[in-house]
Amino acid sequence: MTATISDPAFWSRFQFGFTIIYHYLFPQLTMGLAWFLVYWKWRALKTGDEKYNKAFRFWAKIFGLNFAIGVVTGIPMEFQFGTNWADFSRYAGGVIGQTLGMEGMFAFFLESAFIGALIWGEKRLGPRYHFLAAVAVALGSWSSGFFILVTNAFMQHPTGYRIDANGLLGIANLSGYLFNPWALVEFSHNQMAALVTGSFVIAAVGAFYRLRGLHPVQARLYLRAGTLIALISSVLVAVPTGDQQAKMVGKHQPVTLAAMEGKFAGSSMAGVALIGQPNVAARRLDNPIEVPGALSFLAYGTFQSYVHGLDEYPATVWPDNIELLYYSFHLMITLGTIFILLMAFANFQSWRGQLESCTWLLWILMLAFPLPYIANTVGWMTAELGRQPWLVYGLFRTGEGYSKVVSNGDTIFTLIGFIGLYFVLGLLFLYLTGRELGRGPEEEAAPSHEPEPVEVVAGFRKESLV
Amino acid sequence: MIATWYAIVSLMLIIYVALDGRNFGAGIVHWFVARTPEERRQVIAAIGPLWSWHEVWLVGFGGTLLAVFPRLMASAFAGYYLALFLILWCLILRGMSIEVGDHINDRLWQGFWDFIFVFSSFLLAILFGAAAGNLARGVPLDSQGNFSMPFFTDFGVHGNVGLLDWYTLSVAIFTLVLLAAHGSTYLVLKTDGPVHDRSVTCAKYLWTATIPLFLLISVESWVVRPDIPIHAIHNPFCSLGLFVIMVSTSTLISGLSAHRESRAFLGSNFLIVGLLVTGGAAIFPVMLYSTLGTENSLTAYAVASSRTSLLLAAVWWPIGFVLTMTYFMFVSRRYAAKVSLKRDTQNLY
Repeated sequence: MTATISDPAFWSRFQFGFTIIYHYLFPQLTMGLAWFLVYWKWRALKTGDEKYNKAFRFWAKIFGLNFAIGVVTGIPMEFQFGTNWADFSRYAGGVIGQTLGMEGMFAFFLESAFIGALIWGEKRLGPRYHFLAAVAVALGSWSSGFFILVTNAFMQHPTGYRIDANGLLGIANLSGYLFNPWALVEFSHNQMAALVTGSFVIAAVGAFYRLRGLHPVQARLYLRAGTLIALISSVLVAVPTGDQQAKMVGKHQPVTLAAMEGKFAGSSMAGVALIGQPNVAARRLDNPIEVPGALSFLAYGTFQSYVHGLDEYPATVWPDNIELLYYSFHLMITLGTIFILLMAFANFQSWRGQLESCTWLLWILMLAFPLPYIANTVGWMTAELGRQPWLVYGLFRTGEGYSKVVSNGDTIFTLIGFIGLYFVLGLLFLYLTGRELGRGPEEEAAPSHEPEPVEVVAGFRKESLV
Repeated sequence: MIATWYAIVSLMLIIYVALDGRNFGAGIVHWFVARTPEERRQVIAAIGPLWSWHEVWLVGFGGTLLAVFPRLMASAFAGYYLALFLILWCLILRGMSIEVGDHINDRLWQGFWDFIFVFSSFLLAILFGAAAGNLARGVPLDSQGNFSMPFFTDFGVHGNVGLLDWYTLSVAIFTLVLLAAHGSTYLVLKTDGPVHDRSVTCAKYLWTATIPLFLLISVESWVVRPDIPIHAIHNPFCSLGLFVIMVSTSTLISGLSAHRESRAFLGSNFLIVGLLVTGGAAIFPVMLYSTLGTENSLTAYAVASSRTSLLLAAVWWPIGFVLTMTYFMFVSRRYAAKVSLKRDTQNLY
């Protein structure tokens, strides 16, 4: 089962892993920012306070850049199901195609119809329709997340399917498929994690302006809103959603749980390692320092609960990269804990009215924004490495799913192409985002973004002013 | 049921080609119709805020295809591997050129993205054209329903074919000219001033050029796949497609000569729809024709999902379709007017 460097499945996995990790750096921020935009637009409508409109316009630009890169890097994902995972598509397409199709019909159409109007159409739409456009884009981005997570949840824990006479999967029960318990837990966990990214980024920008003494009103708004939502979402990402997710894994993928903890021998009072390096050959965790009973409690609700060890399962059903899985999981929970502590302290300072004067805290908030990206990425690596060696858990192995007709030469060629193209996209994104941050929210938008004065737009409809 | 789904996924692809085709077309003629930096901004602005909505038709097509014809998607996407990735990369470049080109008001920056815009639009038209040619000519499907195709072999149309041969190249060139004409007709409708006038000239020349090319690929198609016309005669959708072609051609000609710009663009859209409906109906029920032996060809009936999957998809698809058309009407009404150089100096939407 071990993937070797000449194995075609390895290269297709590597390409999918690379393109999906890169892609997901962008949607996690758009999903996290979307409701902030809705909230600020709503406050602006209610109070008429221009600071909310300024915040909205500024973050809409950042949102738009992220969205554009999210769209262009997202399209190859769907097509790779066919190009690199043809045998998987043939096997499971009748099921997973349902949600991928729905994502296009319900989520992408909604987002793409309103995104241009959201970013540049403030004057053309009028304030109320502009608010509705923000809601539409937020709903679109979250429902897109839902459909993709239902698809992933099916691969983690298949429900609502049946095996047809020809041996291929077909759908048996749409609500069983769409409301897979795994999907509901995974969706809430993932969306909270996206909010963590969004709110950390907002707080970081607030801290950046505060430390430089720029845009004081906006800086305060970002710091307050960012740290508050960051605390709430950091708590929710752990309890109840992360906790439920761990219980889900413990119940349906016990071998994955054992691998996540590097646990070779089963026991009750199983601990969570704070430090330790899995040594798969020797079947032990080297240099372990553990919190006793923590894993038993997290996965099954009591300290005495028995947690299965890898030794109880044949090595053919072990995840094929236990080490990476172990580190991904531990990095995720470590970062998650840091997020809660950091944001609890930030909110305490905010409550005392000392957030903006606490320089060292502002420095930490400013520099902390990459951490949620890392936490989201390793969280997904935990989910996907933990699913191995299965493509559809218990039904279909990853080694069976790749396109047999595609040569390594083709896959490596396209992988190199993606690496080059995405490197350039990354530079472009950083440059343009940095430019917007440098300009700041106060400066009136540059001519290229300035909405047209109402009167001169030919064909403008008065009724849209409402 | 399966025939209906064949019609629906074809419809999604046809809508995509008609919608995004005009953007490719605008890209192909970009340097000819727009000379100054301001005029070039005008062309990009004319494409408007809905270009990503247009592109989503391709994504929606991919998802729906996977749901209802999973085995086709598996065979075709793996087989067209390199061509598909070239299309994806060009779509990435095209999207970026529209989105970031206007971020910085600088000659070098905009000149660079204009080049990317033209280059990717040009290549996309060629690649989609070649893909259409491949659908008609067939691909080297083996008895397992798999194929893997290099870019070119001996440029012949039988046996072990490649992506490019004399036939698929002709279809690609026809597509390039057709979409360029379509895009020019769109720019005639959406712009004023010098860009408008140059687009009028462009549209006239390009539409004239499509006539001999169309006759050429018709004859070539008949040579490559002599079975298609015999088959097509019995399909009422082929007759419908031909009827649409005739009506839309006359609409287009009358629109262009009478300076009725909306009418011309309507004709142009329906001409593309008519061509693709005729083609799609003519090859039905074969979705992938095998050049190695007709018995290897994949028909819609052989590659469809189970009946339950098809029925379920028939529940959500129409709802999604109605919803998206509603958004489209709502947003496009607000961007209905011409993009004017005098009024919209710099801004996009």
